[in-house]
Amino acid sequence: MSFVTIFALGLSLLVAAPTLAHLLRRGRANEQSFPAAALVPVTRSTARERSRLEDRGLLLLRALMILCLALLGAGPLVRCSRVALGRSAGASVAIAIVVDDSASMRTRSPNGKTRFQRAIEGAHELLSSAREGDVVALVRAGKPARLSLAAGSDLAAVARAIDELRPTDRATDLSAAITLGRAALSSLPHQDKRVVLLSDLAGELPGEPGADVWAALPELAHKADDCGVLRAEQSGPRVSAVVACSTEAAARSRSLKLITKDASSKAEARLVVQRGEQTLTLESKAEASAVELTGSDQNPDDDRAEVAPESRGLSLAVHVDSAGEAVATGGAPLLEQALHSLSYGAPVRPLAELPREAAELNDVAALFIDDPPGLTPETRGVMDSWLEGGAVAALFLGARAHDTQLGASLEPFLRGAVAWEPLPQGGKVDVASFGWLGAEAESLLDIAPKGRARLDSALLPGAEVVGRWSDGKVLVTRQERGRGLLFSVGLPVSVQISDLPLRPAFLALLDHVVSEALRRRGPRASEAGTDWWFPAAGNLRVTGSAGPLALREADGQRVTTPEVVGRYQIDLNGKSEARFITLPAEEVLSEPKQELPSAWRANKAGAAPQVDASPELGWLLLALLALELGARFWRLLRERRAQGAIQPTSP
Amino acid sequence: MTELRSRLDWGTFAPLRLKARSVADGVYAGSHKSPRKGSGVEFGGHRAYVPGDDLRYIDRHALMRHGDLLIREFETETDRDLWLFVDASKSMSYAGPGGPGPKYAFAALLAAALAYIAMRTGDRVGLDFFGGKGARPIPPRSGRDAFERIVHALEDVEPDGDLSADRGLLEQALGQAQRSARRGAIQVVLTDLLDLPGGSLETLATLTTRGRLLSVVQVLAPAERDFPFEGAVQLRALEGKTLVETDAALSRANYLAALAAAQRQAEQQLLPRGGRLLKCATTDAPEELVRRILSSYVEPSA
Repeated sequence: MSFVTIFALGLSLLVAAPTLAHLLRRGRANEQSFPAAALVPVTRSTARERSRLEDRGLLLLRALMILCLALLGAGPLVRCSRVALGRSAGASVAIAIVVDDSASMRTRSPNGKTRFQRAIEGAHELLSSAREGDVVALVRAGKPARLSLAAGSDLAAVARAIDELRPTDRATDLSAAITLGRAALSSLPHQDKRVVLLSDLAGELPGEPGADVWAALPELAHKADDCGVLRAEQSGPRVSAVVACSTEAAARSRSLKLITKDASSKAEARLVVQRGEQTLTLESKAEASAVELTGSDQNPDDDRAEVAPESRGLSLAVHVDSAGEAVATGGAPLLEQALHSLSYGAPVRPLAELPREAAELNDVAALFIDDPPGLTPETRGVMDSWLEGGAVAALFLGARAHDTQLGASLEPFLRGAVAWEPLPQGGKVDVASFGWLGAEAESLLDIAPKGRARLDSALLPGAEVVGRWSDGKVLVTRQERGRGLLFSVGLPVSVQISDLPLRPAFLALLDHVVSEALRRRGPRASEAGTDWWFPAAGNLRVTGSAGPLALREADGQRVTTPEVVGRYQIDLNGKSEARFITLPAEEVLSEPKQELPSAWRANKAGAAPQVDASPELGWLLLALLALELGARFWRLLRERRAQGAIQPTSP
Repeated sequence: MTELRSRLDWGTFAPLRLKARSVADGVYAGSHKSPRKGSGVEFGGHRAYVPGDDLRYIDRHALMRHGDLLIREFETETDRDLWLFVDASKSMSYAGPGGPGPKYAFAALLAAALAYIAMRTGDRVGLDFFGGKGARPIPPRSGRDAFERIVHALEDVEPDGDLSADRGLLEQALGQAQRSARRGAIQVVLTDLLDLPGGSLETLATLTTRGRLLSVVQVLAPAERDFPFEGAVQLRALEGKTLVETDAALSRANYLAALAAAQRQAEQQLLPRGGRLLKCATTDAPEELVRRILSSYVEPSA
């Protein structure tokens, strides 16, 4: 604080001047000499009382005016609770405003506003203190963190982008948001770059907090009493719901109530008074539509959840000739072990035989087939409809591809016969063609196979070659089929044939297939922020409680990202499907980080927010002046009226 | 130009000498009537003519009968001395809002004008003060030199003193007149009648004994006459310790009533004894006031 500021604020002590003047004036009326004073009657008490009553308002006005003048003198250095940018030596700054739009930001503060509303206000306040030359980027911290607006100096555009932000039920991804914010500012020439967090900090923070991060609204990180329904599923007459409570107090005297479509159920289950997750079961003969928590807490938005039909979850299916591919130690086949190692959490189901009925593949997201002697017509029929639903299948071909059984073929992967041949001398994998596998593709360089399946002559129309041998022959193909996807690999998963199962590239390939499967099939219930992928062709409409969701193109497919919990109706080519978005448990259970890194508490300028409130103070001063003039005029009128009532007479 | 010897601000009443003459001339021009006309001029005898005597006063009958140059001498009525009493107490220094000057200055102007008129008719004029710093009584004298002495005495005084606290100031001034004023003497008291000690009016009334005439002229400032104050005021008397806090608007009527009552009381004290009370303010025309003072001796019952 400079000398000028101290001096200006010191002037506010003059507020006592009118008080003293008033007291003196009130204590002693205007004294005048008057020889005939002895003839004047005393009306002292009346005079003093009237003076006291009338002057009190003027005294207050004058005191306020002096205060305003002092604050005006102190100018822009007056501190206040607004969020504002401090500057080092007045230089322009580059800031990335990270607005947390996760579900926990729906929690209400004691003043009734949600954390998200306060964050939006804070963003606008921050923006109002920006000036020409400042660059602002906007990042959303709901998982996954997203860049809403690239760094730019168009502050009006930033303000519009802030206004367009809406709260979601996503999880929190602060670390990624900070990284994204830093990346958005990295190429800017500004010396002063900051990432401003407008978050309740109820999420994982980066391990090493940077000095460039400023948690501008620490008041958002207040503890809240909240219970939320994470998900609810119905299986027969039983409805199972998972409820999470942030505190014991939030769970006290509360129940979970079942709501049926015919409003006939009165089923209710009392919450256990504990912090954390708890599963409650309710019985209902009627079809349940939702469950709802009774009572209230600081986040009423998560007290209700739609009931989803039971989903068994997606699994991965593997068909391996166990006789030929068994591991010498007696464990599961290599392909199965590799899928387990990917730790998707999805169960891996070994299939002794290739599926002949559609029900066998109901919950299967991806099917891996290793060196089959062809696919029977039943299997092909089952796979056709299964693939249309968005499944992914991968076929690894070995020597048996050459000996397909009668009536069997490799369709829908390949057409016609596939030959098995020894690898020509010097033959290697064209690593460059496997770039889509990432760095792991290098490990395919010397897998030294004893033979290979020739896929060239068996490719179906539309098949895409995504991996080749060094002589240009086809090793891996990729082919869309409806919403599904087919991969064909010209090597078996066998260490007797090649080192392919032992190379990192093999796991990368499996990971790619599983990811595609999960992406295309999509779980019936997923957390907010999960992308739902659909084929580019066909009529598609995804409808939530707030209306149709926007679709965007990505990687030749259509994608939509539901952000709010609830039921969504998917209509694709005349087929309807219901999916559910659930609330992430951590959004209820994660406590706001009240112990902030010290570097985050103040901005880089090392000062509390400072705001130029001069215009407001100027207007206030003018208003006070007008008030004083009005008061004086009113007083004058009263005195005139009083004079009119008593007319002087000459002696 | 008259030299202002006291520290008093004489306002529009300075210079006193010229203003007084102007007022006196105005009195003549306005009425053309002397209060001395036909009264008090009687034959006083003869004496031998000496060179330099006014030829108008040679007794033609005696010259023709005896052949001697004799001068007719006239004797004025010396009992018609003019005694002026000017209140020079502290309260007379008050001019007040709207006043052209202090009350004392106005009273001095009236006194000087009266003295000038008396001088021109050959009457003796005496002067004394009630209080006042530098007050110097002038015993009755006649002639132009006496007028100058009176003017100087009036100018030398600075209003001061508290009549209410020192009754001797009043009695000291009046005592001399009571003892030496002749029968038929005219006594004019110029005062504001404020802050006078109890019984002062009775003392003044004693001046009317032995056929002496008394006029009491109450000189007020316009503020004292109209009470023009507004709002809450604190009024401090110039004499005494009176301090009054009041709401001017509310107390104006009561004040004016109290003033009128005090004036009625003064009149009731003076009139039965042949005295007369004239009320004026410093904004009044002095010529008219002098004329009223003088006319009171022509029409004593007025």
